[in-house]
Amino acid sequence: MHLFSAVPMPLMDRMILRSSLKEMIMSDVLTRDMKNFKRTREVRSTDILFAIANYPDRKSVLLGSSDAGVYELDLTTEKPDRIKFSGGHRSYVTGIAVMESQAVSCGYDGQLVWWDLQTRQAMRTINAHGKWIRRIVSVPSRNAFVSVADDMRCRVWDAVSGERIADFTDHDAMTPHHFPSMLYAVAASPDGRWIATGDRVGHVAIWDTQTWAKKAELEAPVMYTWDPKARRHSIGGIRSLAFSPDSSQLAVGGTGKINNIDHLEGRSRLEVFDWQKGTRLHEFEDEKRKGLVEQIVWIPESTWILAVGGDNKGFLNFFDTATNAMLHQDGCEGHIHGVTWDANAASLLVAAHERVEVWAWEKTPFEN
Amino acid sequence: MKVDPSVCLNRRQLLGAAAIGASGLAANMAQVELLSQPAFAEQLQQADKSVILLWLAGGASQLETWDPKPGRPTGGPFAKIQTCIPGIEISELLPKMSSRLHETAIIRSLNTKIADHGQAYEVMDTGRIREPGVQFPHLGAIIAHQLASTHSDVPDYVEMYTSTEGRRKGAAGYLGARYNPMFLTESMMPENLKRLESIQDVDHQERADLQRILSQQFSMKLRNNVVDSHNTAFQRVRGLMSSDYLFDIERESQTMRDHYGPTQFGEQCLIARRLAEAGVPFVKVARAWWDSHGQNFETHQELCADLDFVMAALLDDLKQRGMLERTLVITLGEFGRTPQINGSLGRDHFASAWSCTLSGCGIRGGTVYGKTDEDGKTVVEGETNAGDLFATILAALGIDPKKEIMLGSRPIPLADFGSKPIQEILA
Repeated sequence: MHLFSAVPMPLMDRMILRSSLKEMIMSDVLTRDMKNFKRTREVRSTDILFAIANYPDRKSVLLGSSDAGVYELDLTTEKPDRIKFSGGHRSYVTGIAVMESQAVSCGYDGQLVWWDLQTRQAMRTINAHGKWIRRIVSVPSRNAFVSVADDMRCRVWDAVSGERIADFTDHDAMTPHHFPSMLYAVAASPDGRWIATGDRVGHVAIWDTQTWAKKAELEAPVMYTWDPKARRHSIGGIRSLAFSPDSSQLAVGGTGKINNIDHLEGRSRLEVFDWQKGTRLHEFEDEKRKGLVEQIVWIPESTWILAVGGDNKGFLNFFDTATNAMLHQDGCEGHIHGVTWDANAASLLVAAHERVEVWAWEKTPFEN
Repeated sequence: MKVDPSVCLNRRQLLGAAAIGASGLAANMAQVELLSQPAFAEQLQQADKSVILLWLAGGASQLETWDPKPGRPTGGPFAKIQTCIPGIEISELLPKMSSRLHETAIIRSLNTKIADHGQAYEVMDTGRIREPGVQFPHLGAIIAHQLASTHSDVPDYVEMYTSTEGRRKGAAGYLGARYNPMFLTESMMPENLKRLESIQDVDHQERADLQRILSQQFSMKLRNNVVDSHNTAFQRVRGLMSSDYLFDIERESQTMRDHYGPTQFGEQCLIARRLAEAGVPFVKVARAWWDSHGQNFETHQELCADLDFVMAALLDDLKQRGMLERTLVITLGEFGRTPQINGSLGRDHFASAWSCTLSGCGIRGGTVYGKTDEDGKTVVEGETNAGDLFATILAALGIDPKKEIMLGSRPIPLADFGSKPIQEILA
């Protein structure tokens, strides 16, 4: 039986059940040997896959593509076909957020699209931002979706009506060097109380979802490289954010300082803050597999963090905040743009450059 | 037509003669007769013209600028926008330029074959493939040689390249050191141009007067080319020293400085306009660094915003001053970028199908020449090489591209053998 299959119960109850089941399963992750964490499947494509999310109540995933499409991909079949949704975006689809039986995608066309997951039809399209939308997350406790875009605005949308609930920013439109800045990252805390937003120059703001007022701010300036002399442009920025399971810590992902900004040759970089105290608790940099940290996943009931991303290729880095060390590292041929655990939290589903990959623990002799 | 590199009419004399001709006074019949000579007519056509080359160092993406392919797998995330010319669309990253294409021609069919920075730079800055034993002059030197006056008080050829990556200095090659560039790298103000503080200006002037008197006395008794050359060089240094104000944008109003914006590229283009206005025939402003192997789209968001704002400001300013019809503004780099998007969301070097623009002097604005296929991978119409581009630039300035320079006994045309101007974009 599908562990997360929908049962008729109130939303919050279902959320708690889903969360506890997931934590239970995730804790099982900790008992497994990371050396057995392997790529078990690869599905190649010709497009760039920026976003991936579980398809509610199905054993398939939703994908956001560089061809402006939103797709369903059933990974249980031997030769999976992608089914394209009807209507939607005019440019790269860069984020998909799912809440209950609905999904909302965002794209570089500045639009948010609400999808009917039964018919795979666009139900609602909103011109949400004046520039590229970078990311969208769901906040079930507020029954809302939150988007960030290069117009430097963070906007909150009612999940049912699509109405704009709030609109705020703490991010400058221009960099200190007179070039356009970008607002790449947004995350919601697991308890739904906080939103964090992060931009190109390394500024993070944390917002209270009850009032949408700014609660705190952090700086991670190492993640922004401005080259004033050799090449005279910039690269980097905060590309990912994630609250810890207890919402007290905030992980910030990007890249370290880059010497040659033609390429993503900086060390992948992760910083962890006690955001309410404003103190940096951990810094992780890795130069074996370089590039941007595109997504951060905290492993529940543990001190582990998974950071994924890449340069021309992809990396999966597991860090342990208890030991301040990297637990495990692996990679793939394509830059990783997004990941999600499958509905059983047994496999990691990866959206990357021209491919989807499935990573899982191979069965150990003990399990056999 | 064969020309000795050392022979060139004095620009100021030329303009003086033109003025006489224009007024119809015909006081000096010898000068009026001169106007009827083909060689003089050609030089008159070239009078007071300048080139400002906006060098997009590292190679800008044609797909994110002048030849967008939205909706194609190679097209990237940007949309195309309609310009002020019906039927011509460019990238949405150039909104200001989209409303200023009346003065601009786009060439979308460059196939220059070489996709290595160093070699490609040489091809695109000399207009031909390197040949053993011959130091071909770079574009700025060719233009300076053709348009500069012998006794000019201003530099003939200025290059600004303040970034260090890809910095390469143009050279006059066989035209001689006289046409080498004034090369600005560390500062926008030329170095070693100011008079030593230990020497008063009056001392300097008196030394110059003494030098002139002695030289004249010497020449009256014994005509000598070396002495003449020395006198010319001395006068030229005096002129260059007095032209330092051209590089000082503090002399511009704040409104004008705001017009060009706060970036270094903007400030350098404002200097370029000041130089062109003062009669400098060739100014190259290098904007580095477009070599977007990683994060191509964000690089172009950043750099296209700069290019669009500054190029539009420059064209507007030149037009308002009545200078655009005698100033040719070029955007060019060493090559374009691959249609294929790599794993870092970058584009790599690509010289098989890319774009450049020519605006202003001698150009039929609002035109597009050449065409690439639907994915931008090949040229399908109007293939153009570096020699053809040089021939077009020269023709736009009223210079015969086939004019030959004698290198010893070997005639070498200004534009490469076999190259032809693109007539479709010439006014």
